[in-house]
Amino acid sequence: MTKPDPKAWSGKVHSYRPAADWKARVDDRLELHEDVAEVLDPTDYEVIRQKLWTINLAHGDTITRISGSPVLATLDFNMSILTEDADVVMNAPYIQFLNAGAPLGIRYIMENYSTAPGIDEGDIFCCNDPWIAACHQMDVLFAAPIFCEGKLFGWAANAGHQYDLGGIVPGGWPQNAEDVYSDPVVLPPFKLVEKGVMRRDLEALYLRQSRLPDMVALDLRAQLAGVRFAREQIVQLCGRFGAATVKAAMRQMVDQAQESFRKKLLSIPDGTWTETRYIDEPMPFSRTTQRTQLSVTKKGDRLTISNAGTDAQTPGTNGIPFVTWAGSITGIISVSMLYEQLFAYGGCERQIDYEATPGTLTCVDYPAAVSGGILHAVTMMNAMQAVLSRMMAASEELKGDIVAPCAEFMLPVLIGFNDRGEYFGQAILDGFACGSGARSFGDGVDTGGPNFSPLSMILNTEQLEQWYPILCLYRRSDPDSGGAGKWRGGNGLRLGITPYRAQSMDIVTNTGGQGATSQNGQGLLGGLPSPASHYVIRKGTELATLMAGKRLPQTAFDIAAEETLWLGPKSNGTPLSKGDIFEFRVGGGGGYGDPLDRDPQLVARDIELGAISPDAARNVYGFDPEDSNARSRLRESRGKWRKLETSDETRVLATGEPDLAIHEYVVATDRNGERVLACAKCGERLAGFSGSYKDGALVTEVAITTIPSAPDPARYIDDEMVLRLFACPGCLTQVSADIARAGEPVFEEMRLAAT
Amino acid sequence: MQYIVGVDIGGTFTDCVVLDTAAENGVAVEIGKASSTPPDFQTGFLHALEAGARGHDLTLQALLRSARVFHGCTVGTNALVEGKTARVGLLSTRGHIDATFIMRSGARLKWMPSQYIAHVAKQTKPEPLVPRALCEEIDERVAFDGAAVVDLNEDLAREAIVRLVDKGVEAIAISLIWSTANPSHERRLRDLVNEIAPNLFVSISSEVSARVGEYERTVATVINAMIGPPMRHYLEALEGDLAANGFSGKLQIMSCAGGLIDSDLARSLPVLTIGSGPVAGLIGATNLSLSKVGGSTNVVTADVGGTTLDIGTIHHGVPIRRPTASHGQFEYFVSTLDVRSVGSGGGSIIRAGDNALKVGPDSAAANPGPICFGRGGRLPTVTDAAALLGYYDPDYFFGGRIRLAIDPAREALSELGATFGMSAEEAAASAMRIVNAQMADAIWLTLTQQGYDARDFVLYGFGGGGGLHAGEIARELGIHTAVVPLSDLAAGWSAFGIAASDALVNESAGMSMASPFDPDIINEQWRRLEARVLDKLANQGIALEDIELSHHAELRYALQTNQVAVSVEGGDYDAGGVERMVAVFEAEYERLFGQGSGYSAAGMQLTSLEVRGHGPMSDVAIENVEMGDAGADFPGKRERDVRWATGMQSTPIFEGTRLRRGWSAEGPAILEFPDTTILVAPGDSAAIHDTGSVVLTVGGKQ
Repeated sequence: MTKPDPKAWSGKVHSYRPAADWKARVDDRLELHEDVAEVLDPTDYEVIRQKLWTINLAHGDTITRISGSPVLATLDFNMSILTEDADVVMNAPYIQFLNAGAPLGIRYIMENYSTAPGIDEGDIFCCNDPWIAACHQMDVLFAAPIFCEGKLFGWAANAGHQYDLGGIVPGGWPQNAEDVYSDPVVLPPFKLVEKGVMRRDLEALYLRQSRLPDMVALDLRAQLAGVRFAREQIVQLCGRFGAATVKAAMRQMVDQAQESFRKKLLSIPDGTWTETRYIDEPMPFSRTTQRTQLSVTKKGDRLTISNAGTDAQTPGTNGIPFVTWAGSITGIISVSMLYEQLFAYGGCERQIDYEATPGTLTCVDYPAAVSGGILHAVTMMNAMQAVLSRMMAASEELKGDIVAPCAEFMLPVLIGFNDRGEYFGQAILDGFACGSGARSFGDGVDTGGPNFSPLSMILNTEQLEQWYPILCLYRRSDPDSGGAGKWRGGNGLRLGITPYRAQSMDIVTNTGGQGATSQNGQGLLGGLPSPASHYVIRKGTELATLMAGKRLPQTAFDIAAEETLWLGPKSNGTPLSKGDIFEFRVGGGGGYGDPLDRDPQLVARDIELGAISPDAARNVYGFDPEDSNARSRLRESRGKWRKLETSDETRVLATGEPDLAIHEYVVATDRNGERVLACAKCGERLAGFSGSYKDGALVTEVAITTIPSAPDPARYIDDEMVLRLFACPGCLTQVSADIARAGEPVFEEMRLAAT
Repeated sequence: MQYIVGVDIGGTFTDCVVLDTAAENGVAVEIGKASSTPPDFQTGFLHALEAGARGHDLTLQALLRSARVFHGCTVGTNALVEGKTARVGLLSTRGHIDATFIMRSGARLKWMPSQYIAHVAKQTKPEPLVPRALCEEIDERVAFDGAAVVDLNEDLAREAIVRLVDKGVEAIAISLIWSTANPSHERRLRDLVNEIAPNLFVSISSEVSARVGEYERTVATVINAMIGPPMRHYLEALEGDLAANGFSGKLQIMSCAGGLIDSDLARSLPVLTIGSGPVAGLIGATNLSLSKVGGSTNVVTADVGGTTLDIGTIHHGVPIRRPTASHGQFEYFVSTLDVRSVGSGGGSIIRAGDNALKVGPDSAAANPGPICFGRGGRLPTVTDAAALLGYYDPDYFFGGRIRLAIDPAREALSELGATFGMSAEEAAASAMRIVNAQMADAIWLTLTQQGYDARDFVLYGFGGGGGLHAGEIARELGIHTAVVPLSDLAAGWSAFGIAASDALVNESAGMSMASPFDPDIINEQWRRLEARVLDKLANQGIALEDIELSHHAELRYALQTNQVAVSVEGGDYDAGGVERMVAVFEAEYERLFGQGSGYSAAGMQLTSLEVRGHGPMSDVAIENVEMGDAGADFPGKRERDVRWATGMQSTPIFEGTRLRRGWSAEGPAILEFPDTTILVAPGDSAAIHDTGSVVLTVGGKQ
């Protein structure tokens, strides 16, 4: 188990991580309510559990109602109930990672401020420091201690996205920030409300940071009302059932999540799973990509999670702090493995050790720019989703819960004035209608939305046109945007807009990971990744003529234009004028399994419904109504792929254990006195038990544009990116597909531990 | 007309109440009940009517000659649930045909159970309402300001319509972007459809539900088209049968908006009938609340059925409304009373969770039903738990129509309880407590979301399980009074609500107007909406002098999303009228969301204007209803052992129908009515109110 050095992980340069003995530094005069009823009646437990769930939902509702903010209305926040020592008892079905900082922030407050200024009944703390508790500065945390019988019983907390907190770009996503001094303001924890009374001086200080202080004041009021409401309700609950009984129920919920997670982990063989993802353009137009790596080692009932292999941080906005990285991991565990606990994931963290290397892109040190990099949290969640899904593929019990990663997040911001002279400057959140990833038993959901935030929604077109001076020319489900596979990823969206009654309009682009260059959701277990998205402006189109002739364009590309302007993943303001069309794609989810295993009837249906193009059907699925041999020819062509030259030092003696499926197409089995990894379809030996199954596979490296509708990454980055495909040499089934920087060694993906 | 008839068709039974408004002691009520007769529901309708007529010693024909007939119609709902709807073609603005497929992404999960929301791998979207092959895009475009930025391309539109007709569609839904701001293209398209295929059912979104938001408006329009043809077919058959039996009046249909519409309007806007059943119950409760039964006009209703708990709210005697309803994951615009369903009821299944029993949200429903029904149910339900605790007389459940088999229920609960070291009875008590807390939590969340405090309300519990849960739900919520309304009529409660309803017509205009508001535009809209309402009510047979118009506006602050509907003055608006409208909005906003929660500096948006017209259909008031006092003071029918939260106690059982007004008793007691059983826990008390309702006074929290 790692024991973070408290001096190094203090939140000053490295992120704050509480040491094992953090409680020793909490002032003795702060009495913790640790009484737990010895016997907890199961009915009391269930009734209290339900009430905590309901209180937490009403907490969220209080926030959206009071704030009325369009940002918070899209549920860009999350709220939690925590124990006295900041174990998460209840979280909400909104953006999963968003309130991951609550336990960290609260422990920081307890460790550092329990003596002065102290923690008292009626206090509320505020913090947006990414090295302590905030995923980025825009997601501000409010935490209220709950006192029962004069002792600290627990905490109510929420974190929500603000309109503006300063920095060099309105809205708080500066893509051209070299370091944190260009970012929105950073506020380490401070006590905003003291014994029930707002500190007017600190409120003024907080609001002074914003370009939109009145709007931030409304959200401040809403978020404070939320924690107050939850606090009152929990105090009432304690009054009714007894604090010790409520605490016993809370502990049991946390223990339950831990136990359920533990049991699921035990059903997975020991080993290490690894995922490599890239993040493009540390600064706009820098034309490079950077590497991240996530490794999860599972041993018995524990996970060790490491970011070793991740590039060092550089100037720019490609980094995320520790809290965001860890929150991405627990967020995905919550929706993938702890859904029965209804977002009460708290106990799972007890089974996790983080081995985070500070100063890297996924654990940046102060003073990196972080506010504009928050979308890379989605990249990390997708990495974790891929890793966890592959792990679950090795467990019969868990295989049904696999979901391939969804898309990266595309976030265009429209800024300008309408023809009444009113300012607008908000992001279009259509990224929340991305396709969801394929499952082990079926297709991903078209425009189903991200798995990490089930309830996040998009606005109606008519609402968009009320908020922005635009005409939305089309908003369509986007063919071929889902990854191909035995089960395909859900398709995303394609949206085209043109200014209408605007005085001026600028487009700012923000993109997570590789979303605008190389891929969206990874493919799983032989499935293909979903193609990257794009932002494009068709300048000076013949739209006016077309419209005067009573016609509308089907896409931005079936209309003549003076110029086609591709916007990069990150850009800080490109004007959009009358007659221009701005189009962006919201990506689909990754595919699952070999596309050639897909039922041809499903392919035919997808063509009929316009979900895939006939070209994709022919090139990827080998489906051609005119040519019954297309599929077998495509399969046979894989025979020409190259054999990897690898050593085979991984021989493990036969164990006599029954066969164990560890992948859609790979099984661990005894063969000639040896435990091997073999093709589940044809029995071909791929590797020794503790080897990489890719070692025995055939491989080919092709252009990323092989993926139907994928753009060429060379448009934005100079690093050569390739699609690598792996197939069983025996039956030529495609067992893996991934995207790599050319020259990178083959990604291992998984390696089982020899017992 | 001497008689008022209310008919409510359910999946199993058709209930009817016949009110004789010329009876000696005020209004005399008779109930008629018959089995429902799908798919030709009109047959069961007439059977129930006949039974109700018999109660008044009348023939069906004699009744129909001097009756008004009000009808709660589930034909549309059933057609939707069973997928027996018309084949619909959809016309939308080019570029926006995918709205009903996209379903606003995660918004589709908003009203789904939390278990479903959390389990991402199992989430999916429902089959589309209109398959892609029957969706056609139309070249035309209206902008938010009503400007036609692309004129309707009639040539291409004709081709699209012909394609749909050739594919055999039975109805066409038309929903264009910003038709709320300018409906001319939708209307013209309807003309084209009528020209090309004169017999097709057509619905256009600006008339079905003129609210801003194309997804929910399109779903409303599509659903309207889907059930249009079956509704037309049913109403024709029913009206034919009624006419053949001497009925010469106009059939009135219950709408989810909380009032009656005539059958012509129900034919063109059948979407208004969906969900009207639970709404009728809420209307009955509203009526009763005006007589302050329970001592307050603030009432929260719990309609406890086999599968769901339906929650409604009445504030100061006015039921709370909402602008949307849901069909599975599809949400659509319809002006409806706010009735929310949660999966909690008598059929809710009890299971062993990790640390405790879990109840619902899945239900054994009517089939296979609870174990104790002996119809093949294998999983224990709330009803099984209640039976085991002694709450039900096994020989007098549902008036003796179902005999309860207790032993198999005990066996199953004993097995479940063993996991947690509980006896069968302890497991039953545990499940009962959990489901009561669950119901109370759902009500608490509803009230909290509506901006109310449960403690300011009284609870009305109805439906088959209302009496069983009302006392405990009230206790959980800190409510001291629970009412089981007109317990004698429990089964006919919805039918009664229908009979007690007024005519109600809404007309609304979706707007997108920024402040300062132009009174001329507002006046123009008021006059247009008023004319439409008056016209419809005149068709419904309401005399002009009886019509009461009310005006409602929906506004929001320009930079905030909360839309708030308020009652405003009618008449001609000038600057002062606009100012007063804004003041009403600002006051209501503060009441709902707290002082200082609105940001007025950036101005406001007027999003909708609505005119509602009320017209009396009868002057029946609940307090005049004569229930008949069956007997003198009736002693405890018998005693039986009942397991209360405080322990096992021998409990007097009363035959409800024989209790006089003014009768009262201290708990523990059980009141048995043919269709509902009322628990009076130790420490609580029960009294029979003048209206025949049972009023429970609930002690403190246990």
